[in-house]
Amino acid sequence: MERREFFKTVGAVAAVSAVLPTVSFAKSGNPNKMDYKTAISAVTNGKQPKMSDKVKLKVPEIAENGAVVPVTVIVDSPMTPQNYVKSIHIFSTKNSNARCLDTNLSPANGKAMVATRIKLNGTQEVIAVVELSNGEFLMNKKSIKVTIGGCG
Amino acid sequence: MEVSRRDFMHIAAIFGLGVASNAFGGGIKQASDIKLEDIYDFKDTGNITLLHMCDMHAHIKPLYWREPSTLISAPNLVGTPGFLCGESFAKFYGLEPSSLDAYFDTYIDFVSLAHKFGKMGGIAHMKSVIDYVKKARGKDKVLLLDSGDTWQGTGVALKSKGEAIVKAQNYLGVDVMVGHWEFTYGKEQVKNLIDKLDGKFISQNIVGDDPFSDEYEELIFEPYTIEERGGAKIGIIGQSFPFTSTANPKEFTQGWSFGLRLDTLQEYVDELRKEKKVDCVVVLSHDGFSVDQEVARRVHGIDFILSGHTHDPAPKPIQINNTVIVIAGSHGKYIGRLDIDAKDGKVRDYEYKLIPIASKLIPADREGERLVEKLYAPYRKELNEVLGKTKGLLYKRDTFFSTFDQLINDAIMDEMGCDISFTPGYRWGTTILPGGNILMDNVYEMCGITYPNVYTFELKGSKIAQLLEDIADNVFNANPLYQQGGDMSRLGGVTYSIAISNPAGKRISNLKVGGKPLDPNKTYVVSSWGGNLQKAGSNLRKNKIRPVYEIVRDYIKKKGVVDVSNEGNVTLLDYSCGCPKKGKKSC
Repeated sequence: MERREFFKTVGAVAAVSAVLPTVSFAKSGNPNKMDYKTAISAVTNGKQPKMSDKVKLKVPEIAENGAVVPVTVIVDSPMTPQNYVKSIHIFSTKNSNARCLDTNLSPANGKAMVATRIKLNGTQEVIAVVELSNGEFLMNKKSIKVTIGGCG
Repeated sequence: MEVSRRDFMHIAAIFGLGVASNAFGGGIKQASDIKLEDIYDFKDTGNITLLHMCDMHAHIKPLYWREPSTLISAPNLVGTPGFLCGESFAKFYGLEPSSLDAYFDTYIDFVSLAHKFGKMGGIAHMKSVIDYVKKARGKDKVLLLDSGDTWQGTGVALKSKGEAIVKAQNYLGVDVMVGHWEFTYGKEQVKNLIDKLDGKFISQNIVGDDPFSDEYEELIFEPYTIEERGGAKIGIIGQSFPFTSTANPKEFTQGWSFGLRLDTLQEYVDELRKEKKVDCVVVLSHDGFSVDQEVARRVHGIDFILSGHTHDPAPKPIQINNTVIVIAGSHGKYIGRLDIDAKDGKVRDYEYKLIPIASKLIPADREGERLVEKLYAPYRKELNEVLGKTKGLLYKRDTFFSTFDQLINDAIMDEMGCDISFTPGYRWGTTILPGGNILMDNVYEMCGITYPNVYTFELKGSKIAQLLEDIADNVFNANPLYQQGGDMSRLGGVTYSIAISNPAGKRISNLKVGGKPLDPNKTYVVSSWGGNLQKAGSNLRKNKIRPVYEIVRDYIKKKGVVDVSNEGNVTLLDYSCGCPKKGKKSC
């Protein structure tokens, strides 16, 4: 069943990221206090990531609960030793801590995919930044509405 | 003469002719002059008939229901199907003034036409139409599909926890349904009622999200069903209201996640076409008319979307790419008839008509009348109690204000002594003609929900302003996918101005409470029901919590005769009328 495999993959990814924290932030000051542009720049070492449809960002249009917004990033990649996704990062544009998730991947992951839940303090954009094995950075973004709701 | 595709327009023309001859001949044309066969007239097409109902809101008895006189939206949407009302609606669809369809579809001249044409809807009258079509077409060709918001909206529904309405659906012969307000009976009751429903309940967009449950990441309902009619396979995919968990209290659906889920919708469309080899793909939806137009732009391969939620009566289908979208009004006022010619995996032709359930013209089915009596019997004494009278027209709907909502706000402010009262911008309710009795039944029709409590609490001025902007952005967002399909909350004790086309957070100005400018640093006493505003407030007055229908009942009894002014409390800055035409700021 694909769904089960997906959870195994996600589990594997989480384990990897726990062992290998991203290092680039360490050089650039406290990453939890940066605005999202600076935080992205810290990840990419100043390179501007390219908007790409290869990065698929699955989010709800309207968050059911701002405290746990499900976000899935899938990158179209063969995940071979020659060509794979090295890392997937998730940022939010208006949270006081813009950095939501950093994950490192290897060809052993088989599939370039992460799923997580993030907290959003209001309506804003969520950005996925992806580093490829050739050093290229790709990104995609989606807007998520966080509302007190109320209608019928 | 070849009957044109636009049969409905054809009837309009007949009625129009009647009106014109009155001008010369004098005298008022009676409803009885219009024949039943004009209502039934239809050019049979193809091998399948889908009968469609949506947003009946549990109205098993006929009612009066006035369509909106204000339906404002973002400038890019105003005057398009889904945001049409009154004059702009009549013009867009070519309705004749004073015709039956003008009475059903617009607010214009509502009171005098109501006296002429009588009440609308009711299951006994709907059944006569359904039976007629089944007989004319052959039972084996007809499906009855229900876009939801069926189990909630009346006292009978509330008191029987939806069960009375499931009996009504079984009587009508509903084959497939989806839901929204259905979920406000809670997960367990929803499952109980589905067991009692003869038809199927489907939804591709409800998935378990509790990691400790067996339902985690699993579909809660069957995503689709394949029905065979007229020798064709019809694939029907269910789309329940995507924003149920934000629009209604989360606790009713804890552990279930909603959302549009367009990626899986696309997968099911492809599966039905490629693997199941259906002849026709239908999405039975409670997304809302404007959202479904967006769905048709993003998902490919859907033949028909039978929409619901936004209560639009749309006499003509709209087509986007290769998808045809229909929606059949609300409150049981209409049944949509869609004839389809589908064969070898392709739709070759279709015909559509929105059939008005005019209770004076369509005879009631006896069995249906008996069923209504039976379903009302346990609650008759309470529901039939006359609480008082109204001097003017009591109606619901409109973007900012309606008289029945004002009456509810008046009642709440009178009892709670609050500075501000919030009443939700639901689109369901009832209409009472000037001079009419107000029954307890009518009060439930306006506020019969499973979370009826009025909460009184404190909110800071700045928070109130922010909340109003937030609500305005849900109603007036230029992107239909970020709207939730309701109208603005109705405010008692407050006046404000609004510029719809301003950016989010900057629409509202001149906000006054009790005639004085809102002080952002002052704390106001606020009462609200039907939402979750109380969660944003503090110092909840626990001893004052009481169901809204009891508050309204007591207030009407105290007053005897209610006289609610039709003067709204909102000044619209960037439109000069309530029903603007496309691309215009005026009518």
